[in-house]
Formats: sequence, structure tokens, C-alpha cells
Amino acid sequence: MANQHDIIFQHVSFSFGDEIVLNNLSFNIKTGCHTLIKGESGSGKSTILKLLLGFYHPDEGRIRWKDNTIHPQEIRKQTAWLPQDLDLGSHSVSKVMEKPFEFSCNQKKATTEHQKIEILNQLGLPKNILDKPFRTLSTGQRQRVGIAICYLLDKPILLLDEPTSALDSKSKRHIANLLLSNKAKTIISTSHDPSWVKKADYIIEI
Amino acid sequence: MEIIDLSWLQIGMGFIILLLPAYILWKYNTGLNKKLLTACLRMVLQLLFVGYYLEYLFEYDNPWVNSAWILIMVLVADFATIDRSDLKRKASTLIPIFGATLLGIIVIDLFFLEVVIQLPKLLAAQYTIPITGMVLGNCLRSNVIGINAFYYKLADHRERYQFYLACGASRTEALQPFISEALQKSANPTLASMATIGLVSLPGMMTGQILSGSSPLIAIKYQIMIMVAIFSGTVLSVFLGILFTNQMTFKDTDMLDESILKN
Repeated sequence: MANQHDIIFQHVSFSFGDEIVLNNLSFNIKTGCHTLIKGESGSGKSTILKLLLGFYHPDEGRIRWKDNTIHPQEIRKQTAWLPQDLDLGSHSVSKVMEKPFEFSCNQKKATTEHQKIEILNQLGLPKNILDKPFRTLSTGQRQRVGIAICYLLDKPILLLDEPTSALDSKSKRHIANLLLSNKAKTIISTSHDPSWVKKADYIIEI
Repeated sequence: MEIIDLSWLQIGMGFIILLLPAYILWKYNTGLNKKLLTACLRMVLQLLFVGYYLEYLFEYDNPWVNSAWILIMVLVADFATIDRSDLKRKASTLIPIFGATLLGIIVIDLFFLEVVIQLPKLLAAQYTIPITGMVLGNCLRSNVIGINAFYYKLADHRERYQFYLACGASRTEALQPFISEALQKSANPTLASMATIGLVSLPGMMTGQILSGSSPLIAIKYQIMIMVAIFSGTVLSVFLGILFTNQMTFKDTDMLDESILKN
């Protein structure tokens, strides 16, 4: 039986117009574990993360969180999400990293310059990247800045969409060490990458 | 000096100069000459109509009739804003834009006409109709820029908005950067014209006053006031337009109802 803190997908179906993306999908996600959603491109992995974030309602079935039907605004206060292709505009990396801490639910966590530099270093990014416009970064650098934001937000649930897709093997090790070392966090990720798949506690194939 | 009235023959002569741009447009295959013809016909017919109704409005000069005319102008501006912003005509776009434009105009008109200029007669047609028309025309232009920038930027950068939401932002917080950009884009043209007025251009209202015999010093006073009214009106109506449409164009999941977009 699912424990109180599980996230439960019950017979979830979802379509974009006529295109069926998910059909009668059921699974449980345990808190404090790293659950990986595996499937081919276009199989609906990213859509599952967006359904969890409450960006869409399932056409059929339901998603429950802590024994309740999902309430998007509440669950989002507990999440950090790394999308596949992070687009955070043309401001400097420093400003981009500060933005999420301006939101009322994150204001107590305000990040310092020192913390930003330290986390970027751990992810193999130099200090001077803070002054560069975010849009000028490579896909891999953008991905690492996104991971840094997710880490600094220190939320109990991390949703990572192909977190290693644009990273070299050294950077992959860095982010695994950083994100997976805290066993109190619930991590839900999607990936094709065998080295990342190996690090999952549970794998859901769709 | 008496103002020189133009005969219809003189106006017809004035149109001859259009042969010059028409030839250039034809030579370079722009395909714009048909549009030029339609635009000229519409301009003449619309202004003829305006001329006649203004004669009537000035003669009758009743605040209720003037208000009714403002309502019609706002309604026409509402449809034009939606169409030119590439949004679909739906209740969720038409009603809030109408409300925003009307509220913007009411605030600006009451402040400038009744508090600043202090008209001897409530909503006197001679002042109310041209000033409202100028403010509304500029509101329309800014609304089109602002509303289009807001909704299309949001659709193009959906994941940025979703990223902010996923970080725990409220819808208002997540939309803030998009509102900021829309306000910048819509306010910039008016700010630029305020900064260059008198140096690069002599604005229409001032020119009109000078032509009709007013002293240039009176004309500039009105021009200063009208620029302030236009700037305030445009920022107010774009902001209210975004604020009001936001109440009706988002789903309960905080996602934009993209069926309002034409493209």
C-alpha cells in the first residue's frame, strides 16, 4: 500500500487534441527516492512531469498527492523543475539565478553571491559566467545553471527532465553528486542516459 | 489672419502628389497600390463622416450625446485592438479590453478636462471629442503593441513562465517579466516622441491650433498637456488591458488559453 507521502497516478490518460500522449497510466512515486521515468522520445515523459506540476489536467484518471487530489498552486511551492531546454531570457546569469528567490514563497531562502559562485564551481562553471547574458550560454551551461537554481531553491521535490542530455561525463558526475546525495528529497527524472538511469531507485517504463 | 478654407478642387489637386509614391510602389512591385487606393477612400469617407458628426456634436453639445460618442469610439477601438493584436474576437478578449480602454479614457478625460482644464460645461464637445480622440488613437496603437507583445511572448516562451510557476511563483509573479516587457514595448514609442517633440516634429494638435489662429504659446501649453494625457492614457490602458484580460484568458491550471491567439 502506498504510504502517506506517495504521489499516485491512477489510470491517467492525456491527449493533446487528437494525439493520445498517455493512456491509462498508473504508478506510485515514493518520497525520498529517485524515480526515473523511462521511455522513447515522444512517449510522454515530459508530459508526466507537467501533469505533476498541474500545468494540465488529466483527461481521465487522477493524480493524488498526499492522499489528496493534486492542487497545482500548493504542490508548486514544494517543487523545483528543470525543463529540457531552459529559456530564462537575456538577463545576466546572476539576475536569472536571483529571480526565483523574488517569489513570495522563496523569499526566506534568498541566495548570496558566495552561494551562487560555490554551486556554479561545483558544477564546473567559472565565476565570471554570472555576468554573462543567459541566452549566450551553451545548452550544457544553461542546463547547469538550471540545476544550480533547483539546488539553491532547496525544495523537497525535484523534477528533472533529461538533466544530463547536454552534459559531458564529468559534469554528469558533478550533478549526480550534488542532487542525489540528499536522501530527504524526492527526485523524479526522465532520461535516456544509461549513466543516469543507473542512479535511480525505481524505474517506471512507459 | 483668417484661416484659408480649402475648396474640394484644391483637395483634389492635393491628391495629385500621390502619383509620385504610387509610381515608386508600382515600379518596385510592392503590391501596395491597391491598399493605397482603399486607404485613401476610407480616409476621405471616414473624415467626411467625422466632419459632419462633429458639426452636429458641437452644435448640440450635450454631455450624454458626447459620452455616447466616446462609448462608440471605445467600442471601435476595442475591436481594432483585438484584430490588430492578432487575437481572436472572443468574450474573453473583447470584454476586458473594452473595460480597460473605457476605464483608462474615463480617468484621463475626467482628470484633464474637468480637473486641469476645468471646462465651464461638463464634457464640452469642443474639448472632449478631439482630446478623447487623440488619447484613444494613441491608446489603440499602444494597446496593439503591448497586448500583442504580452500574449505572443508568453506563448513563445511558455517554458520560462512554467519554470517560474514550478519554482512556486503565483501567476501574477510568473507573469511579471512578460508584463514588464509589454509595458516597455508599448511605452517606448510615446516616450521617444515626447523626447523629440518640437525638434523633429510639430504635432498635429499644435499645428491645427496654430492654423486656426491660436497663439503658438497657447498651442504648446495644450500640446504639453495632451502629451502627458497620451502617455498616461496609453500606459494605463495597456496595463489595465493585460490585467483585465488575464482574468479571463487563463485556465485554472494557470496556463494561457492559447485558443485566443490567431497564429
